[in-house]
Amino acid sequence: MHAAAGHESAMIFGLSPMWVATLLFVAVYAIIMTDKVNRAIIALVGAGLAILSGVMTQHEAMGAVDFNTLGLLLGMMLIVNVTRRSGLFQYVAIWATKKVDARPWGILLMMSIVTAVFSAFLDNVTTVLLTVPVTLLITEELRVKPYPYLFAQIFASNIGGTATLIGDPPNIMIGSATGLTFNDFGIALTPIIVVIMVATFVPLYYVWGRHLRAADEDRRRVMGFNEREAITDPRLLKQSLTVIALVIAGFMLQRQIGIEPATIAVFGAAVLLLLDNFGKEPEEQAKNVHAALSEAEWITLMFFLGLFVLVFGIQKAGLIDMMAEVLLKATGGDFNVTALAILWASAVLSAFIDNIPFVATMIPLIKAMAPTFGGDAALLPLWWALSLGACLGGNGTLIGASANLVVAGLAERAGTSFRFVEYLKVAFPLMLISIALSHVYLVFRYL
Amino acid sequence: MTSAPIYNTDFSSLKDMDTVADATRRMLADRVSDLPVVDAAGKLVGMFRLERLFAVLLPKAATMDYGMPDLAFMSDTVEQLKRRMREIEHSPVREFMTEPGHVVHPRTSPMEIVLLLYKGANAVPVVTEDGGLLVGMVAARDVLGALQSEGAR
Repeated sequence: MHAAAGHESAMIFGLSPMWVATLLFVAVYAIIMTDKVNRAIIALVGAGLAILSGVMTQHEAMGAVDFNTLGLLLGMMLIVNVTRRSGLFQYVAIWATKKVDARPWGILLMMSIVTAVFSAFLDNVTTVLLTVPVTLLITEELRVKPYPYLFAQIFASNIGGTATLIGDPPNIMIGSATGLTFNDFGIALTPIIVVIMVATFVPLYYVWGRHLRAADEDRRRVMGFNEREAITDPRLLKQSLTVIALVIAGFMLQRQIGIEPATIAVFGAAVLLLLDNFGKEPEEQAKNVHAALSEAEWITLMFFLGLFVLVFGIQKAGLIDMMAEVLLKATGGDFNVTALAILWASAVLSAFIDNIPFVATMIPLIKAMAPTFGGDAALLPLWWALSLGACLGGNGTLIGASANLVVAGLAERAGTSFRFVEYLKVAFPLMLISIALSHVYLVFRYL
Repeated sequence: MTSAPIYNTDFSSLKDMDTVADATRRMLADRVSDLPVVDAAGKLVGMFRLERLFAVLLPKAATMDYGMPDLAFMSDTVEQLKRRMREIEHSPVREFMTEPGHVVHPRTSPMEIVLLLYKGANAVPVVTEDGGLLVGMVAARDVLGALQSEGAR
């Protein structure tokens, strides 16, 4: 074992490193799909085994972890954890509801737009955790069925998250691996995301929207909400908004200032924590910081950590190159066919499996195609195909994205059930429409 | 001194067919916030707690896990809350009662009872070991009364 850990070993337990890495990778992915073991645990166990069995050295494993992705995720999580205490999210949701005179369809649209915009800049799960309770409250007050609203919010969070570099983990990973900036993502993806948003809500109007009714008296009660009272800490609100604005400005100027998004996000989080805790007693500071740190989604972060190591294992072993070859053979080496195959396959797969491990595997695979297609720069459309497919595909089923399950869980607690097939019947066709639109967009703009 | 029971045998209880209005009247008259609910045979079937009643008056989004952190923005008046109360006051208490939770028996040690009250129980039902018939209630004030010395009385 010592020899294996220290040097490149030809054989491990009588198997070639290629086999060991592949078996580990397949076993971990299979266990992730069964949902029997927490995904952070299984990814870390897999990563540990990859090092112990000598697939890679400890040093290589450290190098394989993309700290830019981890830092960006952590930084944004911390910023949200501090900001949420100000009441900003409730304020915006109630304000938006009153802007449409508490009309049921108007509220559905406004809550979806709010969710999409927040999701574009924040983690999708956090966004729905903050906005869904407001939706449940308002639908209860209006005595309308919450299901259509929650369904629409699931779509909005996944669609909105696709629009920017920081909106959804696949984009963060792609951005970090390719050096594509916040602006690159915005310019490439936001136009089609706006079109997809509109195209999604037209069918929703015909399925549910036109049947939604609320009594005038109930609407008056909702109009009586005072959104200003939702702001629980005005000082923190100003600090949070300032830091968020500066962080987003930093992302936009990423190329000019030459600083990676992770640094910008973590620095922003640190400054916000400093402002929030300035002048407070040491005990209170410790309590505040502890709360902000412990509420970060460590399961997601540790899952990423393990996955980066595992994917590096199969990359080092040569499996990724092999898979790339197989994919290229299947598409006949045709660039356009490859791009569209990535789009559709990512969408359908992401509807059923976690898109994070999928994208983590696809990134080196696409990179391995660079020589065939004439260098890294030529790969651009493939990245957008992967992003659109993996992010939007998550809408297809109830298990397609973490945000979907979080919404379903919250709805369940409030007495509305989300069933897999019932959701699928409307969601899967709508997801396919969004992918068809992405297909057309990619063909016209990039292929 | 013989060991007098620490619990109260003169207590209010509700029948499962009693209404919410009956329950709230009893709560106000007897100054209690938890009432035991018994069936026709006198068996304890649940507890009607004031806390649960308040939960019914609130939107679900405020009482669920990960729900609304506060409701300061809602401008409902006492009149509007009263209207909500009126919607449920003719419903039977069994629709709103909760599991009995901790119960004690006539022979349960005083130390165990003090521990339950220390852990936050408002009032603990006393039931027979066989059959679960309700025979008493023990609340913090009963224990306090039993513990007072002759001189303090």
